[in-house]
Amino acid sequence: MTEEKVLIKGNYAIAQAAINAGCQCYFGYPITPQTEIGEYLSGKMQELGRAYVCAESELGAINMVMGAVATGVKAMTSSSSCAVSLMQEALSYAASDELPVVLVNVMRTGPGLGYIYPAQGDYNQAVYGGGNGDYKLIVLAPSTVQECVDLTYRAFYLAQKYRNPTMILADGLLGQMMEPASFGEYPYPEVDVSSWALTGAKGRPARTIYSVATEEKKQIQHIYDLHKKFEVIAENETSYEEFNTEDAEFILVAFGSMTRNIKAAMNVLRAQGKKVGCFRPITLSPFPYKNIKALAEKGKDMIVVEMNMGQMLKDVKYAVEGKSQVSFVNRPCGEWLSVEEIVAAVNEIIAAKEGSISGKEMESRYATSI
Amino acid sequence: METNFIIAGFGGQGVLLAGTVLANAFMLQGKNVTWYPCYGAEMRGGTVNCEIVVSDTEVSSVHKQDTDYALVLNQQSFDRFVQRVKKGGTIIANSTLVEKTKPRYDIHYVFAPMGEIANSLGTSKVTNVVSLGVLSSACEIVSKEFLAKGVEKVLGEKKRDLLPLNNKALALGAEALLQKA
Repeated sequence: MTEEKVLIKGNYAIAQAAINAGCQCYFGYPITPQTEIGEYLSGKMQELGRAYVCAESELGAINMVMGAVATGVKAMTSSSSCAVSLMQEALSYAASDELPVVLVNVMRTGPGLGYIYPAQGDYNQAVYGGGNGDYKLIVLAPSTVQECVDLTYRAFYLAQKYRNPTMILADGLLGQMMEPASFGEYPYPEVDVSSWALTGAKGRPARTIYSVATEEKKQIQHIYDLHKKFEVIAENETSYEEFNTEDAEFILVAFGSMTRNIKAAMNVLRAQGKKVGCFRPITLSPFPYKNIKALAEKGKDMIVVEMNMGQMLKDVKYAVEGKSQVSFVNRPCGEWLSVEEIVAAVNEIIAAKEGSISGKEMESRYATSI
Repeated sequence: METNFIIAGFGGQGVLLAGTVLANAFMLQGKNVTWYPCYGAEMRGGTVNCEIVVSDTEVSSVHKQDTDYALVLNQQSFDRFVQRVKKGGTIIANSTLVEKTKPRYDIHYVFAPMGEIANSLGTSKVTNVVSLGVLSSACEIVSKEFLAKGVEKVLGEKKRDLLPLNNKALALGAEALLQKA
């Protein structure tokens, strides 16, 4: 009866999906709005004879994950914005060491301690990294509770498949809301880790995993190799969804749970006779540059909707390469932009395009110059 | 089409649980549904609320500015959410704790003594389930049959012994409006 739908919170859905994916160890430290992940796993992991450690700090937690995944088992931690900041050094190390760390960030408001309101302000940190050096995480952004399940499965698979730290970038709204979801079974094959995992050197030469390279040539090659690996990831794993983009003149672009609101706004605008479509990156890293570029080349204008001050906006502009107009509708944090607010903003953007509102006036209101 | 509900009351009145039962009822009915709580630094004795959106198609935003139905169990919640009911929408209030006032002319009011009904069953703890019963008779898309299934699902195996009490609470809640009419 695994196909049966259950009404479940996003946080619990991520936790249960981690169990189904074969996560053997969870290390974490509580923080709103993701504490339910640790709460759920504290009981379930024990029942299953797996490891659960409430770490002494976020720093401890992420380093424990690194240690665990180095032995070839699946492990994860979860946290939220200001506490994910504490993990950035480890993520840089994990990327260099090619450790399949899985990290969940249920975003809240920043910068600094901020507050527990949902927000999308950690896009830059997730996609461009807060740690040092040339590295990239794989970043997956769920928009529904069902996707909290599906993308958690995918995160564990991709992390091991490419030996790359992988982040699930959710938000407080998604973590706290309940929605029906079905779990099914973990849909991916088990990845063979025997060629690199530290499992004890009995009967084979000893292995080490480390990120220091004192020889210049070795370090150069290492960075090239990491970069090449990410090109393969971009080629194979970039994913997105789009709706009504074929005949659209304007395309709303959002990630995460804001996708729900732009889809609803699109339906309202379509009913008003406006040719509006939607585009939503599922993988924020690798980002679907090519696909957005292809739409821009057909002259479709982009309207980016985010709960931050314009983070994914920059990637959309980069993808568009000036081939069409990019506008921005946002709020920094807190109550998600409502469908009505998005509809009103889009209508003004359309009016400006048609010349009934002056471009200057519009720019000061909706377009952020970078 | 989407319909949304806000359920609100004191912390401890079982508001989030009532919302969970309602959302389960819709799910079991085969509808798309979301449940979203107010969350954060809430105080004991303060107000708490959750929002349920039900739709035949995909649910859009889970947290809306206004609501079709507000189910309020105390005075503070009435005062706050009466302003958020859509024009032509309905507020359903626990008259045991809420004064029967009608501050707006453009919405419908339903008052039922949910607390008293719960007390007649021996415990005020089922006020939340009584309120769902009242809701089912005031709102046609809420099915009594599926609410009962929702209660059963939420109680689970462990608390099965509480099922008869809760079913009784649902039934009395659903009859509350009929008796008056």
